[in-house]
Amino acid sequence: MDRIKVRQICFYFIAMMPVAKLLVYPATLTYNSGNDLIASALISCIAEGAIVALVMLLAKKTGKSLFKLAEGTFGKIAAKIIYALFALFFFASSLLPMLEQKNFVLQVMYENVPSIISFAPFFFVCFFAASKGFKSIGRMADIALPIFVIGYAVLMLLALPETDFSALLPLRGVPLKDVLKGSLFSANWYTEAAFLLFFLGHFEYEKRASVKVLCSYATGSLAVLFFLAVFYGVFSSIAIRQNNAVAQISKYTASFTSLGRMDYLFIFAIALVMIFRLCVPVQMCVHCVCKTLGCKPLIPSAVINVLLLALTIFFNYSFLELQTLFTQKLWFIFALFAYLLPAAALILKRRERT
Amino acid sequence: MKKITDSCEDNVKLLKSILTSQDILVFAFETKDGAPCAAVYADGMTDKALLGEQIARPLSQTEAPKTPKDAAKLLQAPEIKEEDDPDKLADEVLAGNTALFIDGVCGALVAGMKKLSLRAIMEPPGAVAVKGPREGFIEDMKTNMSLVRNRLRTPKLQFKTLTAGRQSKTAIAVGYIEGIADDKVVSEIEKKIGSIDIDGIPDSSYVAKFLAERPYSLFKAAGTTEKPDVLAAKMLEGRVAVIVDGSPIALTLPYLLVEDFQGAQDYFVSPYRASVSRLLRFIGVFVSIFLPAFYVAAQLFKLQILPLSFLLTIAGSIQGIPLSPSLELFFLLLVLEILVEASVRMPKYVALALSVIGALVLGDTAVKAGLVSSSAIIIMALSGISAYTVPDLVGTMSILRIAFVVVAGSIGTYGVLLMTALVLYYMTTADAYGAPMLAPFSPLVRRDLKDSLLKTSMYGLRKRPKVFRTKNETRLNAEKEETHGQD
Amino acid sequence: MNKVWTRILLAAAAVLLLLFFSNDFGLIDIQETAIVIALGIDGAEEEEGYNVTAQIAVPASTGSSSAAGVAVKGASTVGEAISELNHETGWYPTLVHCKLILLGEKLADENVFNVLDYFLRNDAVEDSCLVAVCRGTAQETLQAQSPVNDISASAIAKVLSSEAQKTGIVSVTVLKNFAINYYGEGKSGFLPCISVKQEAQNQGGSNASPSFAQDAFAPSIKRNKWWHAKKRPLPIAAPASAQSGGESGAGGGEKSGGKDVFQASETMLFYEGKRAAVLNSEETLAYNLAATDTDYAYGSVAAEKDGEEIVYNLKMKISQKKIKLTFENGMPVITFRIRASANVIDTDAASSILDVAKTQIADETVLKAAEAKFREELSSVYGKAAISGCDVFGIKKKLYRFRFKEYADFKNSILEKADVRYDIRFTSLK
Repeated sequence: MDRIKVRQICFYFIAMMPVAKLLVYPATLTYNSGNDLIASALISCIAEGAIVALVMLLAKKTGKSLFKLAEGTFGKIAAKIIYALFALFFFASSLLPMLEQKNFVLQVMYENVPSIISFAPFFFVCFFAASKGFKSIGRMADIALPIFVIGYAVLMLLALPETDFSALLPLRGVPLKDVLKGSLFSANWYTEAAFLLFFLGHFEYEKRASVKVLCSYATGSLAVLFFLAVFYGVFSSIAIRQNNAVAQISKYTASFTSLGRMDYLFIFAIALVMIFRLCVPVQMCVHCVCKTLGCKPLIPSAVINVLLLALTIFFNYSFLELQTLFTQKLWFIFALFAYLLPAAALILKRRERT
Repeated sequence: MKKITDSCEDNVKLLKSILTSQDILVFAFETKDGAPCAAVYADGMTDKALLGEQIARPLSQTEAPKTPKDAAKLLQAPEIKEEDDPDKLADEVLAGNTALFIDGVCGALVAGMKKLSLRAIMEPPGAVAVKGPREGFIEDMKTNMSLVRNRLRTPKLQFKTLTAGRQSKTAIAVGYIEGIADDKVVSEIEKKIGSIDIDGIPDSSYVAKFLAERPYSLFKAAGTTEKPDVLAAKMLEGRVAVIVDGSPIALTLPYLLVEDFQGAQDYFVSPYRASVSRLLRFIGVFVSIFLPAFYVAAQLFKLQILPLSFLLTIAGSIQGIPLSPSLELFFLLLVLEILVEASVRMPKYVALALSVIGALVLGDTAVKAGLVSSSAIIIMALSGISAYTVPDLVGTMSILRIAFVVVAGSIGTYGVLLMTALVLYYMTTADAYGAPMLAPFSPLVRRDLKDSLLKTSMYGLRKRPKVFRTKNETRLNAEKEETHGQD
Repeated sequence: MNKVWTRILLAAAAVLLLLFFSNDFGLIDIQETAIVIALGIDGAEEEEGYNVTAQIAVPASTGSSSAAGVAVKGASTVGEAISELNHETGWYPTLVHCKLILLGEKLADENVFNVLDYFLRNDAVEDSCLVAVCRGTAQETLQAQSPVNDISASAIAKVLSSEAQKTGIVSVTVLKNFAINYYGEGKSGFLPCISVKQEAQNQGGSNASPSFAQDAFAPSIKRNKWWHAKKRPLPIAAPASAQSGGESGAGGGEKSGGKDVFQASETMLFYEGKRAAVLNSEETLAYNLAATDTDYAYGSVAAEKDGEEIVYNLKMKISQKKIKLTFENGMPVITFRIRASANVIDTDAASSILDVAKTQIADETVLKAAEAKFREELSSVYGKAAISGCDVFGIKKKLYRFRFKEYADFKNSILEKADVRYDIRFTSLK
């Protein structure tokens, strides 16, 4: 149930990783970094890419899971504590993307303002997905790739006629500290390395796996960077207003055709991939809880999803405050769990050898 | 428990005490030296001419044999076996064979004398082919096996015959090609069939349910076919066949969803035509399931999806319609299902009249009466027709279609996406007999993509599908291909 | 475990069916929805506030549609007026298909973003809609009756179509682009200026040849594309003294006196949201040729030939256009570099058969005359922009993006201080 293939990890990085960054991230980045948003995003991508490389290096050296490594180094109780902490981290890190998605759904897929209950069925799907293990993540990545590639390509093609890439100029027009701030305050969108850490021991390291995974990560990052470039090229001075970037970017070409907003078909396709991506941290959380408590995934999945639904309702009118809290105040938590700890896992193996 | 003795009369009495029905007859005759013999058979299931020719005549012209083996040598029937168990003898008689008792011989002989009234081999109505063979299975398992064996004349073709059903004692043949099919799959199927504990098996669909790893699933668990050429092709790919006596539909396992999109004719026409056909089927399934849902969701939740001119047309056409768009379409889909059910069962002589009612009254007149809108009729018709591009999935699609409409009408476009995600999650995690249902798409099996939604030429299908984990992967010899190319 | 799943699924199905038959979230009742296709906003006459006119598409059961106009007067904000529409009509207005925002002339004297930012704030309204300003009030403009019985919003949208943009007759902009320019470095923008003219009375009712009266008031540009010579021309204003009314767009031949036509050949320039200047039709054409997506245009020039002044009607194709900002000796230099080809479509004097045969080839004198005229008009546009501070050519944007070092020094004064050069060349087929 928890086996995944290297190819599926690659597809995850190409197709599912970018979609999380197509909603609020571009506008938020613009707020901090202005037209140098590409630089901020590039810094984040490179930093995360480095951590991905380190995790793959660890995977090359050992076929054990993180739990086994931690157990071998610190003992079973400590390993469970580590997993419990990561469970909390995954739980927390899934909240903001869910609220983003909720706002996206309510804005793009409805015209009247519906009750939040319209978004609640998502948690049923998430509950089902979270009870299926890593196998479902891998298989969904296989399905997500063609959907994402086609949806992304069409949306970009529709957006390009309206794009003025010179809006990204001047380079270094924004002070470096703002660029770095933009990068730092984006930490909550860059948690992929933590997921990869938990895939350790659940996939078979094959020949040149590291190269494949890193190339896939680079491809996914390029997709994000290109999207950001096109986004800013389309909107430039009003970019900070565009909260659901992926739904706004292509409408100018589609609006004046007799077919109307045919780009909605591809936006829905991307939204489908977003659903898959949104379930991943919850699946990770459930996995950690199961390892900690030694139980089957059904009940933890139900409890976690009910809690997330409750929090989504609770924070229904507090998205901005929550976003400010997570991005500007708690960025170090994300840095710790998504960057430092995965990097530190490399040391675990070495300690085990001695 | 009473046993078979060397007394013919006692043996007949014993057997008749088990087989009390009046259609179980006894043919008594004597050997040349006057020893009584009796043949017990089921009326209507036994070839009496053969019985007289191959059993009675030889025995009446010779002296009585002393042992069953001697008796077997005397008889001219090809299928002779010895049997001492009265219950098994009774089963053989009920299967259409003849039980032979000879006075002085301890034991009984069973002669294969079955002669059932069967229908002719003809093209199955549900799998009409413009090109390709037109044979179809019938209800007799042995005939079906012979049709398969006629196409796979290899000693590696194995049939294992099992029995299931306490009362029906239905024969089930598990067929596979040794060295190609996965032995684990074969043994798992045999085990599952062996564990069936039910009164009767009237059709292969019962067996399919028992073989399913998720018996409550909306999706099929086993592939089905009525054509021996298709079955042979699937066995050559590595699948295991299950032929059930009394059913013209053979099962194949493991099952992949993509095989329902592969028509038999795809392999007899050009690969380009086959690819176009498959894409059309895929589009048909997509339209059938999603079109009504998106129509409802767009009207109720997101008008912007519809172009303005089309929106105004729809708005104009639904003026005065009493039902909401979701209920209207739900009602129309229900009517469609009723029409389909009725058309399957209606006598031919009323078909024309009912067609008129269905087309004109329920369609045209309903629009004029203001009960439904014309756009909804079109959506319903398109959805209904598109479903029949893949007939094997019609049942599943009908239910999914209605479910999607309900979801679209209550939750909207996001509901449709969530439902799609849920169905995909379900299908991607539905493995059976080691093969994922959505292979070769999820998990991606690149080699098998050559014969999935698009079909490559014959020379591209050199290897068997990887998903079946066959031992012998090569089906087309590459050297011969090169030689052929040089000719 | 199967029992658990069965119960979960049954419960979910029950909830869904309950929702299906009784739900109300996000539900749109299309029969109670007012599909707003255009909005006109005027300043209230007496007090502060706005008069908002909504043009609502009314579907008929036959499938065709007409439009109804609903006006709300004296609302303090546009948002309030939209809410009032619900009270007035009993229908719920939906703006997702709103394709046109028309601003009354009075609003141009204030910051137009006092009203336009409603549309930027509101996620239900797409910022891909057309924006225009009109002479008089938007309400009167939207109430105008198009001679082809188009809904007025559709007729105006046709006048502002991308086809028209490509021929340079109108300057088309959508809300997004207008907002980008407003919030950008230049704080400037432009909007097409719609005016309504009553169509002239019919004199003979010929529907045949398209179009244009040769009149001082009419744009001196043929609006038909040569490759669509038989196409019905777009509706434009017919001057009062114009002849048979092909130019009104009533190509069917029946003429209806009293129908209105829309003209959008003027362009209003804005700086910081307020009207800064108005370009006439020839200046609009020159601006479009130099700075927008216009590739083809028609224009008339007068040139001397054999001592006689002849008016030549030219078809121009722009092959290259660039606005370069450079610095020489620390001072900005703006260069308009335009390369175009031209050929003669018609003249006002009979020509020899040889000239007719060589119509693709324009004389050097004609080309020079065209260059001079273009330069003159473009210079006039730049002059108007510079005087009003309106950075319609995006010079400040270029300064920011490409010459960031000099941006701080020149961001407020570049338009006045720049040395403007025109490098315009017309060529002909040889």
